[in-house]
Amino acid sequence: MTSSRGAGPIFMCVGMATLAFIVLPLPFIILYSFSPNAYAVISSQGFTLKWFVSFFENDRFMAATAASLQIAAITTVASLLLAIPTAVMAVRHRFVGRELLLTLISAPLVVPGVIVGTAALGFVSQTGIGPGFWPLTVAMIALALPLTMRPLIANLSGLDPDLENAARNLGASPFSAFMRITLPQLAPGLVAGGTFAFVEAMDNFAIAAFLSNITFTTLPVESYSYIRDIDDPTVAAMATLLILFSVFVVFLIERLLGLDKFLDLG
Amino acid sequence: MTRQAFLLSLPALLLVCLFGVVMFSFAEISLLSMKPGAAVFSGPPSLANYERLLASSGAWRAVATTMRLSFIITVLCIVAGYPLARVLARSPSASLRRFVLFCLVGTFLSGGVTRAYAWLIILGNRGIINRGLEAFGLPTLKLLNNEFAVVVSVLNFVLPFFVMTLFGALKTIPATLEDASRNLGASPMRTFLHVTLPLSIPGLAVSTSLCFAMSLGAFLFPQMLGGGRVQVLATAIYERIQASYNIPEAAALAFLFFILVIVILVVTGLLRRLVGRRFAGDPA
Repeated sequence: MTSSRGAGPIFMCVGMATLAFIVLPLPFIILYSFSPNAYAVISSQGFTLKWFVSFFENDRFMAATAASLQIAAITTVASLLLAIPTAVMAVRHRFVGRELLLTLISAPLVVPGVIVGTAALGFVSQTGIGPGFWPLTVAMIALALPLTMRPLIANLSGLDPDLENAARNLGASPFSAFMRITLPQLAPGLVAGGTFAFVEAMDNFAIAAFLSNITFTTLPVESYSYIRDIDDPTVAAMATLLILFSVFVVFLIERLLGLDKFLDLG
Repeated sequence: MTRQAFLLSLPALLLVCLFGVVMFSFAEISLLSMKPGAAVFSGPPSLANYERLLASSGAWRAVATTMRLSFIITVLCIVAGYPLARVLARSPSASLRRFVLFCLVGTFLSGGVTRAYAWLIILGNRGIINRGLEAFGLPTLKLLNNEFAVVVSVLNFVLPFFVMTLFGALKTIPATLEDASRNLGASPMRTFLHVTLPLSIPGLAVSTSLCFAMSLGAFLFPQMLGGGRVQVLATAIYERIQASYNIPEAAALAFLFFILVIVILVVTGLLRRLVGRRFAGDPA
C-alpha cells in the first residue's frame, strides 16, 4: 500500500527554507549585542557585555521599559477581566445584535494601527486629555480584548455546561458555580489570551508612536528613536533580552499547555 | 436580550462605544484645520483637507505603493508559507513539528522592533551582506531604504501568523483522503493538485486575507527600513504628524485609508464566502 503520509520532498525543502528565513534575524541580533565594535556584527575583538550595561544605565530606556511593563500588565489583567463575561455572553447567549457586537469588538484588530493611533491622538488633543500613559493603556485594552476573547470563546465552547448546571442544582449560586466549576477549566484560554494581550501591549508601535510625547515613551518607541538618533548595539542588547524572555515564555507555554493547544486557541 | 446577557455584554459594549466615539470625533477632526501656532483645531468644517489630498500626487502614490507592496508580500507569503504549514500538518516526526512550532511562537513573541532592527543590521550599507560582498572583493549592494527592504521585513513579520493560521486549517484535512488518491494510482503531484489543494482553499482564503490586512497596515517596517524613501499610507499619515503636527490633515488621510480598508475587508469577505461555498462548503 502506498502511503502519502509526510509533507513530500519539495514541500519539506521549501518549508525548511521558509523556517530558516523566519528565524534568520534572531541569531544576527544576538551576535551584534555582544560585539565590541558598533560597526561590525561579528567582531574579531572578542565579545563584550557593555551594551547590556549601557541599556540598564540609560534612564530613558529604563523609564520606557517600566512604562511598557506596567501598560502590558494592566492590559493583560483588564482585558482578561473584560473578556470573561464577553466570552460567556458569546457562547451561552443568543440575542439580536450579538453578531454585530462581536464584530465591533474585533474591529480594532482589522483596522490598521496607524488609523487607530491618529484617531486616538485627535481625540485626546481635542478633549484636552493629551497623549500619555492612560490613553495608551485604554487603547491597548481595546486592542487586546479581541485577542483575549477568542481563546476564551474557543475554550468555553469545548466545555460541558452540565457540570455548571449540576453545581447549580446542588445549591451553588450562579456566581459561585461559575467561579468554582467553570473558571478553573478556562485556565488554558486564560494563559493563551493573556500571552497574546501581554505581547501586543508590550510590542505595539503603531498606536504608541502617536500617543507618546517627549516625557512619555514605551520601549518600542524609545528603541525606534534611539536607532534613529544614536544607533549603537544598545538596542540589540535590549532585543537579546526580549528574545531570551520569549524563549522562556515558549518553554513555559509548552510545559503548561503544549504549543499545539496554544495555537488551537489562538 | 435577557438581563443576564445584557450585563455580560456591558463591559465590552462600553469599550465598543468608546471606540465608536473616538472614531466619530476623528471623522469630525478631519474636517477642521490646525490653528497656526497652537495645538488646537478650529472650524468651520470643510472638505478642504480632502480636496488637497485628492489633488496631491503624493497621496495617490502612497495608495498605489501600499496596494502593490501588500500584493507582492501576500503572494510571496503563500508561496513560502504554504509548504511550511503543510510540513507542520503532515510531518510524521513529532520532534520536527515541535521544533517548527517552537521557532514560530518564539519569533512571534520576540516582537517587531527586534526584527526590524535585525534587518537593519543585516541589510545595511555596513551590514552582514555587504560586509560579505566586500570580503570577496565584490561591489556592495543598496539593500536598505527601498521597497526590497520593506517587502523582506514585512514578509518576515507576517509569515509566522500566516503559517500558524493555515496550519490550523490544514491539519483538519484527513490524511486518509490523500492516501486514497495515492492508492488509486495518482502521483503525489496529482494528489496535491486535485485533492489537497482544493480542500485547503477555504483555510488558505482566511490566512491570505489576514496576511493582506497585516501588510496593508504595516507601519514600523516601512518606517524603519524604507528610510523615508518608501511612502506607504501608514508612513505618509505619520509624517504629517511628525513633520508638521497637522492632525486634521493626518486624520483626513487616515480616514481615506480607513475607507480603503473597509472596502477591501468587504471584498475579501465576499470572496471568502464565495470560495468557501465552492470548496468544501465551509463559509469560513
